[in-house]
Amino acid sequence: MLNRTIQPDLQSIERIDFVKPIIYDITSEVKLFFMKDVANETTRFDLYFDAGNIRAPKGTPAFVNGLLFSGTNEKNSTQINNEIDALGGFMESGLSAENSVVSMYCLRENVLPILHILTDAIDNVAFLENEVSELLADKKQAFMTNMEKVSYLCQREFQNKLFHSSEIYSTVATEDFYENVSPKVLKKFFQEHYQNGLTKVVVVGNLEQDAIDEIIDTVGKWAKIGSGKFEKEIQNLPGENHLEKENAVQTAIRVGRILFNKNHEDYNDFLVLNTILGDYFGSRLMANIREDKGYTYGIGSMVAEYNNLGYFMIATEVGKEVKEATLNEIKFEIERLKTELIDEGELDLIKNYLLGQLLKSADGPYSMMDLYLSAEAQGLDFSFYNKAIEELHSVTPQRLQELAIKYLVWEEMTIVSAG
Amino acid sequence: MIEFERFKLNNGLTVIFHKDVTTPMAVVNTLFDVGARDESEEKTGFAHLFEHLMFGGSVNIPDFDAPLQNAGGESNAFTSNDITNYYDVLPAHNIETALWLESDRMLSLAFTDKSLEVQRNVVIEEFKQRYLNQPYGDVWLELRPLAYEKHPYKWATIGKEISHIENATMDDVKSFFQKHYSPSNAILCIAGNFELEYVKEIVTKWYGDIPSAKKPARILPLEPEQTKFKEKTIEREVPTDAFYYAFKMPERRDPSYYIVDILSDALGREKSSRLYVSLKKEKQIVSNISAYITGSLDHGLLVISGKLNDGKTFEELDVALWETLDELKKNKMSEEELARLMIKIRTEKEFSEQGLLNRAMNLCTFELLGDANGINEESEIYNAIEPDHLYEMAKQILVKTNCTLLKVKAKQNAK
Repeated sequence: MLNRTIQPDLQSIERIDFVKPIIYDITSEVKLFFMKDVANETTRFDLYFDAGNIRAPKGTPAFVNGLLFSGTNEKNSTQINNEIDALGGFMESGLSAENSVVSMYCLRENVLPILHILTDAIDNVAFLENEVSELLADKKQAFMTNMEKVSYLCQREFQNKLFHSSEIYSTVATEDFYENVSPKVLKKFFQEHYQNGLTKVVVVGNLEQDAIDEIIDTVGKWAKIGSGKFEKEIQNLPGENHLEKENAVQTAIRVGRILFNKNHEDYNDFLVLNTILGDYFGSRLMANIREDKGYTYGIGSMVAEYNNLGYFMIATEVGKEVKEATLNEIKFEIERLKTELIDEGELDLIKNYLLGQLLKSADGPYSMMDLYLSAEAQGLDFSFYNKAIEELHSVTPQRLQELAIKYLVWEEMTIVSAG
Repeated sequence: MIEFERFKLNNGLTVIFHKDVTTPMAVVNTLFDVGARDESEEKTGFAHLFEHLMFGGSVNIPDFDAPLQNAGGESNAFTSNDITNYYDVLPAHNIETALWLESDRMLSLAFTDKSLEVQRNVVIEEFKQRYLNQPYGDVWLELRPLAYEKHPYKWATIGKEISHIENATMDDVKSFFQKHYSPSNAILCIAGNFELEYVKEIVTKWYGDIPSAKKPARILPLEPEQTKFKEKTIEREVPTDAFYYAFKMPERRDPSYYIVDILSDALGREKSSRLYVSLKKEKQIVSNISAYITGSLDHGLLVISGKLNDGKTFEELDVALWETLDELKKNKMSEEELARLMIKIRTEKEFSEQGLLNRAMNLCTFELLGDANGINEESEIYNAIEPDHLYEMAKQILVKTNCTLLKVKAKQNAK
């Protein structure tokens, strides 16, 4: 008779086989990372530019990023989109504080023709007046819609207070971003940060050596000379802030502080602490605030990473009437990490869970590449993850308690609510 | 080509096994043939509320998530108008833990009052977060009952109103489970680096003794054929006017479903699509516009939605939009345009089959449609579509009498 009350035996994960991408030097500073082992016809390539939001005031980086395929003197934007679509390319351009990334997903047979259309479109982008004004109007409309969302209002204010000591990192969009943008300013930014701003190329797909050489030949001219500066030390502004929004039925909450990235000696162990608190479905915040109290659809904590720093953040949206109760419970769970040692059983579960998640993050060429890039951006490689596995095995409840006392200090937190 | 094996247990459970030797992970995907369309109009939102309760402990196992996390895995689920789908992703060597958990909750739930009370609150907060507290968030709560008069697609999976969720009782919950959560109403897919014999052995071990029950008959109210244009305008606290044109389309099993899919791509999938080029780039009436299909198993919708540019009117939009639609009915699409749409579909399929979880989910969905091998036949159906098919289909469905229009007017512009 089957005993359904007992869990089947578990095996722990002994090792993870990380597969390093092949690295080519485009210049001594700019590299191409290549993952060839793809079982089907799919290909992706990414172009990284030193053209993130921190590289110019106001919305200039966002406008240039949004206009990369807006037309040249020979081809308008519709012609460019037609040509890329006719080759089945899916294009994405993403912008963060420290990077601008153009990504292309396509079948390998089309990768080179698409590359040439794409590089021609970028290299000769003309910043035509009508395209600039259309983008500004679209962006303004999207901004006005976002301002109706409590999550956006809250995140925007949080970012402003979190990066308080750095003017450029703490800049958030305002309505006047979308007025009076001159094509001249955009062009200058483009020349400096795209045509001389390529910092990295990533290729995943079963391509031959010739194709890689051609990619390097085609985009190599944009390689950045020297390396960009990124902020190393920023202080957040502690304290509580509330933004009132009429008629909102929920309140968004953010609690967090500036912290560190993978290069800090406390990073790996803090990640364990963060997971226990709020970074998996059974976390303490979820167990208490969603699964016991039913205040929210979801609550989580995270560690976000920049090139030289990082931050810790708790985020949720709760019923308007339970905002204070939620903040009290968050505080309660943080205090509990400082005063009670974590149970060995709970810690074992977290260790097994994190190992399983790391195994999943290393599953398949696309995930493997992203895992590698997340270390590479901070000057590390796969040895970081091997070390992380070792540290995960040895972390103790005492060590986690020390970290909670050291970093989860309520008085040092930036707390923002909107609703 | 996606290879798979199929076998059936005596209690009626259908099992699909998909082998992938390249991955250290395994997927256990369970599709239950029940969705919001199976609810009664007085108790909507139930299939989705039930999905939450499936994580609240089963008859022999008090906690679903912790044992799975201990095995290095994680789990989630979604509910649509048609189906409820649960999945676990975990290291392959621990697959039995997923089968232990999934089979126990197929056997029976714990049905605790606490779980029901809490999940009611969680779902109410989800309702607020996704539908009430977002600009344009309630559009589908408005559009569905406008487009559908009889068919249960007239309510959203979250439910018609919050009170239906507030009033859910333990008796409702239990009878829903009895009716819909039996082996004969489920399709299980196991994906990973295993041998078929082993999969048969462990699936029989964990699922074999779950009592069988008759698959519930589904007799849904038929939606009468739409014969006249329907229109509604709502005013909301939003910054911009928005529009939703919805056209009834064939059901999922009908081969013409694929023709409509391509029509929607031609109209508004990419920046090279007809509506985007004409209404946004050339006439500058809209700030964004797109066309898509709902993908429903019964008669679904082809939807064209977007937002007006400041200073433009719904009337200007309407004229320009119908001009673009009429083009498809006047002239046959060029082979060149069709090829452009087809390469996108082919590329997208290749990417979607890159992931193990996607493959497992799609195999279950196609098995529900009649045959898991449908996943391998889809491309052939697309390839057989010609400009003539699109021309005839456009004339049939892109007509005013088959159209439902919802306009969302920004309050400050309402006067």
